[in-house]
Amino acid sequence: MITVFKNLYQYRELIAALTWKNIVLRYKQAYLGILWAVLKPIMLMLIFTLVRSFVGIETGRIPYPILTFAALLPWVFFQESASEGVSSVTSNASLIKKIYFPREVFPITAMVTKIVELGISFFILAGMMIYYKMMPSLYALWVPAIILYTMIVALTISFFGAAINVYYRDMSQALPIALSLLMYGSPVMYPLSLVYQKLIVEQAAGHWSNDLYTLYTLNPLAGIIDSFQRVMLKGLPPDFEALYPGLVLTLVILPLSYVFFKRAENWFADVI
Amino acid sequence: MPIIEVNHVTKEYQLGHITSLKENVANAYRRMAGKPLHKRDDFKALDDVSFSIEQGEVVGIIGHNGAGKSTLLKHLANISKPTKGNIIVRGSVAPLIEVGAGVNPELTGRENIFLNGAILGIPKKIIQQKLDEIIEFSELEQFIDTPVKRYSSGMTVKLGFSIATSMEADILIVDEVLAVGDLAFQRKCFDRMEVLIKRQGKTVLLVSHNIRQIQRLCNRAILLDHGRINMEGNPQAVCDSFYEQNDRKIKTNIDHAQTRTVGSGEIELVEIYFSDHTGQMVESLLYNQNCSIHFKIRVLQALEEVTFGFGFHATDFLYLTTHNSEEQLNINCLPHGDHEIICNVNRLPLLPGIYSIRFGITAGQAARTIFFGESLKHFQVVGDIPITIREGFFALDAHWMQ
Repeated sequence: MITVFKNLYQYRELIAALTWKNIVLRYKQAYLGILWAVLKPIMLMLIFTLVRSFVGIETGRIPYPILTFAALLPWVFFQESASEGVSSVTSNASLIKKIYFPREVFPITAMVTKIVELGISFFILAGMMIYYKMMPSLYALWVPAIILYTMIVALTISFFGAAINVYYRDMSQALPIALSLLMYGSPVMYPLSLVYQKLIVEQAAGHWSNDLYTLYTLNPLAGIIDSFQRVMLKGLPPDFEALYPGLVLTLVILPLSYVFFKRAENWFADVI
Repeated sequence: MPIIEVNHVTKEYQLGHITSLKENVANAYRRMAGKPLHKRDDFKALDDVSFSIEQGEVVGIIGHNGAGKSTLLKHLANISKPTKGNIIVRGSVAPLIEVGAGVNPELTGRENIFLNGAILGIPKKIIQQKLDEIIEFSELEQFIDTPVKRYSSGMTVKLGFSIATSMEADILIVDEVLAVGDLAFQRKCFDRMEVLIKRQGKTVLLVSHNIRQIQRLCNRAILLDHGRINMEGNPQAVCDSFYEQNDRKIKTNIDHAQTRTVGSGEIELVEIYFSDHTGQMVESLLYNQNCSIHFKIRVLQALEEVTFGFGFHATDFLYLTTHNSEEQLNINCLPHGDHEIICNVNRLPLLPGIYSIRFGITAGQAARTIFFGESLKHFQVVGDIPITIREGFFALDAHWMQ
């Protein structure tokens, strides 16, 4: 793990240059430029708001559009980082065959690129908060920690997925499907409080209810999205009960994923 | 302590496609069940290669296509890992394995300088300092803010080379990159390499098919053949041995090649053969010795005023000599039947190598062509040559004075 940070520091200029390249390339010949980056969460927010007008989703006192946008913000960041991260090694095949540097630079760069887009989304969230006359509380200081946690989750998937993808390209095909399914398994469209209400309060699944809730929160995104909404919009501290199952799972898998990546790395140039 | 140590390095590649998931699962089962695995054929790109390089040495690596040169460089640049053995590199490596590897077509030349610099690990500060120098060397001042996708291929390579050679590393690994750009730029690259090597005392590994370059720049050469070190040492000796191998290979290759002939059908070429100064029939000729070339022809229609001509040419059809029979041989009438014409060559001046013969016949007052053929017979010239005449096709009968 220490070597990861050492490499990160040593190759910070490379990561910065590659990130800058990614961003410049993506928007160079597009008239709307970097605005495209934030179009995705905005469109999804509009669709969800529309859907919600047909099916009732209980959201409490927070207006639904801003609640779901606050959920989409970490979700889209996670989803894009993970899917870009998984294909980051194969899409840089020409570099991998020619020059050596630690290969984790690629998934990390993919993620850093997405941070820039996340930053722009924050401006939109701020605008919406002004519109709805909401003030972030002091708990908003948790946001950097929550984003860091999201990055770690995305990297956990990226490392493993990117290494597999070098051998079997199925990975980059399967991941978008898996991720869009996971979105429905995460409190993006609906708040976590609704799940809590059903399972813990109403015990809707009988004596399975508590276990099911733990299973649901094993998804790190459940805790991330919920905490993000709490600290940004509700003025509450993060709900650690919802956070820790996912956190434990991530911290167990991350080292395995990284070691797997580093071991596979030796053969990237031969196989890719 | 050597700056590079290569110890018994073997690299195996599996032939064919990556095994399917099904096969992997099947293999995993076989492993657990203790049954023999289903394996694909291996190919040894490097086979037990060992050598070491001291600081400041310039080492050339030569060999046929597929001999393992580029694989070896990839291992030294840490891009691939050996199957067996290990490699120790003590110092930073600048891999010029393929210039312009990181050049992105969408970015401008200037943007690419910074991006490529970062990829090669050159700190941003140093690039900023060297920016003008890089642009000047690349000769692209005018186009530096134009996207590289609008560059010609030569311009792209110039840019790549300029960036790559601005990196300050202990070890330079160069793979065929000196053959870039037009002649003037090649010259410039070559000069820059010489500066890096001779003045800055860098350790350089050079792969090239341009043997002359190796002879000139290197102080040691390694000849690879099918993944093994065939010969190592003085570049002159290694290159000579490589030339010889090459010549043999060319000869076997082109013996089967089609010859080009045109003719009116009045005459047929039956055979060309050589004899040496003792009159013995031979396959290859000796440098600086007398020899004879025999042309056996079959005349189908009687011909008048016949002239013969023959010449040597290199395997790439570069004409080296021409010799007509005019004024040496007056044939007013050549009757129907088989004939043999002989041309005696005194002290054959061709340097050792592979050559070929062309032969033509004209007839009549108007000297119309009755027969002409190129690459009619390939032959090898062998023999020892003094150190004074290493390269070229001919020996000059010349002497130095002071």
